[in-house]
Amino acid sequence: MAAPSASTNIRLGLFVALGLGCLIAALFLIGQKQNLFGSSLNVRADFRNVSGLLTGNNVRLSGITIGTVKSIDILNDSTVRVGMSLNREVQPFIRKNAVASVGTDGLVGNTIINLAAVPAPAPPIEPGDMLRTTTPLALDAMLGTFNVSNKNLVAITGDLRQVTHKLNGSNALWQLLNDQQLAADLRLSLRHAATATAGLQAAARDVQQLAHGLRQGQGPAGYLLTDKEFAGQMRHTTRQLANASDTLAATLASLKKQTETPNGPLHTLLADTALSRQLRQTIGNAERGTAGFSQSMEALQHNFLLRDYFRKQAKKQAQAAGH
Amino acid sequence: MQPAAAVAPLPATTSAPTAEVVLTVAHVSKSFGTNHVLQDFSLTLHRGENLVVLGRSGSGKSVLIKCIIGLLPIDAGTITVLGQDVATLGHAALDELRTKVGFLFQSNALYDSMTVRENLLFPLRRHWLAARRGQEEELVRQALADVGLPDTLDQMPAELSGGQRKRIALARTLILPPEIILYDEPTTGLDPITAREIDQLIRQVQQKYTTSALIISHDMNCVRLTATRVALLVEGRCYAEGTYEELRQRNDPTIHAFFE
Amino acid sequence: MFNSPFLAEIGGMTRFAGRFFREGFRPRYEWRELLSQCYVLGYQSLTLVGVTGFIMGLVLTLRLRPTMVQFGAESWIPTMVGLTIIREMAPIITALMVAGKVGSSIGAELSSLRVTEQIDAMEVSGTNPFKYLVVTRMLATTLMVPILNLLATGLGLAAAYLGVNLKGGTSLALFTHNILARLTFGDLLSAVVKTVFFGFAIGLIGCYKGYYATNGTEGVGRAANSAVVMASMMVFILDLLAVQVSNLLGLN
Repeated sequence: MAAPSASTNIRLGLFVALGLGCLIAALFLIGQKQNLFGSSLNVRADFRNVSGLLTGNNVRLSGITIGTVKSIDILNDSTVRVGMSLNREVQPFIRKNAVASVGTDGLVGNTIINLAAVPAPAPPIEPGDMLRTTTPLALDAMLGTFNVSNKNLVAITGDLRQVTHKLNGSNALWQLLNDQQLAADLRLSLRHAATATAGLQAAARDVQQLAHGLRQGQGPAGYLLTDKEFAGQMRHTTRQLANASDTLAATLASLKKQTETPNGPLHTLLADTALSRQLRQTIGNAERGTAGFSQSMEALQHNFLLRDYFRKQAKKQAQAAGH
Repeated sequence: MQPAAAVAPLPATTSAPTAEVVLTVAHVSKSFGTNHVLQDFSLTLHRGENLVVLGRSGSGKSVLIKCIIGLLPIDAGTITVLGQDVATLGHAALDELRTKVGFLFQSNALYDSMTVRENLLFPLRRHWLAARRGQEEELVRQALADVGLPDTLDQMPAELSGGQRKRIALARTLILPPEIILYDEPTTGLDPITAREIDQLIRQVQQKYTTSALIISHDMNCVRLTATRVALLVEGRCYAEGTYEELRQRNDPTIHAFFE
Repeated sequence: MFNSPFLAEIGGMTRFAGRFFREGFRPRYEWRELLSQCYVLGYQSLTLVGVTGFIMGLVLTLRLRPTMVQFGAESWIPTMVGLTIIREMAPIITALMVAGKVGSSIGAELSSLRVTEQIDAMEVSGTNPFKYLVVTRMLATTLMVPILNLLATGLGLAAAYLGVNLKGGTSLALFTHNILARLTFGDLLSAVVKTVFFGFAIGLIGCYKGYYATNGTEGVGRAANSAVVMASMMVFILDLLAVQVSNLLGLN
């Protein structure tokens, strides 16, 4: 109750000024954060889902906070209109075609609005503009997809492990890869095949000529037609010939395919040790087939009925060469 | 009631026959629950008179003067102070009236947190009249000189003796020159010598300021020395009224009991 | 039930508050006394409130740290401590300390004025003691508690900054930013508004208990004691109300 002296008044004044100063400073700092005291630019955007956005949440452009959410109104069952108050200083950097999306600030952070520029020319934004929006993949949806991919990945790595395990345990493959004999065989059979095809070509030409002569009623055709035994022999030979050439062609095609596309049958190859054996057998067969073919061609040449014909042919060739 | 009615005209003729009435208490009742402290109590105070209300402790004397000053509301009757009915006054009017009525508390009620000077300045500041501006210090010194303690100006009430405190309290009531002073047991709790000094002071003050005084007491010495008229308060009623000598010579045992 | 002393007290206090609003805003105004009460109740409580606020800020930070580090959320300490101090701790600590110091002193002072008839003396001096004693004190606590709270908040935050920097380092700018990033007007204003009510309640209860004290010196002790107990409890009740109200207003 004592009358206040000047010094107590000064101290009281200082006390009050300090307290109010704290309040004003804090209000100003928050206000600055919320752009309450700066001039602001109000724009709107319609969203389908705002994922828990609240008034006061930040609006960001390229990760920089440039404003806050001012209002959130439900327009109808599928549209939420969000009013944003942006810092006027950023006006030149936001174009009319900027796209707004709802995002989160970190994994457990606040919901925010991200503005993204679109690489197309447009005039700067103006107050009251309506921004376009996109709905980015929501975090839960993203996690859902992630889950599925994860499961797939688990299956794949499981398979991969099985494959490598088999790869390590498979002698066949390593033998196959290390087998020099096989390569040599292959080369040999290919050479045989080349010889055989050359012979085949020649034989085909001879048969053609033979047929030609037959149509003209020349040569040993009449004889031939009467001799049934020879005809049977001849039919047998040509059938064998055709068989051999078919087998050869098939073998060659399959070989070619296998050498050209190593990825395709890899799995089968690895899984099936019988195949390499078969492969070797096939190559052996092909070899034997081509050898047999050469032999039958030789025999055909030495056949006494056709001996004259072949001899004439040789003479003709010699004459042609003599010219 | 009968004896009171019988002696009522006496003081008027003896002390101040033509004096103006400054305070009237008419048919006042006051109860605290079932305790009927005042029952149809009446008295009149004339200008320039020292009226002592005599009664036993707990007989409702203090309640009476608190009712007069408006600290306690009354249940029935009227109290008129300087022509104004206390019960009907608003805050402002009551405050205005109180500047003209001094009240000396039994416990002095000095403001412990203030120095003597501030205690005396307090009522002055409350009623800051332009005419008194700049004279506060002078008035404080004057009031202290009147009670005979000019050197206690900057002391705290706690540093003073009981008698000094009583004087300072009196000085505080005098600083706004009152027309009526109400003393609530002014000598209670003081040694006999100091009590006599206070009694003398009351008389001096009454002469100097020409005030009327209503003194509540059960101290017969105080009554003898200060009273121009005595009213006897018994069981909530004004049992008898008269000068000290008149009452002393009564044969009524109830009255006589006070004088022994 | 209907004549319980508790309800009677509530009713009495309500009337007392009503009288405060009725008489407090009519002239005459006790400016000098108000200033002197502001000094006594506000400035002179600053040391107590400031030291308490500082220590609480420091202790809170140091206590929170191990848990936060365990969760790898060390960078959240400033935010958590800051918001706790601003929104809840500083107001409550301030109000409780003021209730303890000022509530008891008002209760004791007014009750001793009452039992030594000084209140009556003021009244007969033509002073309205309700205005002179009660209105000034209630106004002083109502005005000073928010200011004390703000200073306690400031000191508490300074202590929190110190606490954060005792182990590990955070720049002042980052510390400020961390707090401001989560702080809204609602937080700050609800804290300030609620301390206004705390101050009013402390002043009201202290004055009520002191002003109507009886039974001489024993009544003085009782008034001081019950003023502290009741004011502290009232602070918590008001705090609970403040949470509900600010939730309703969407300030949280």
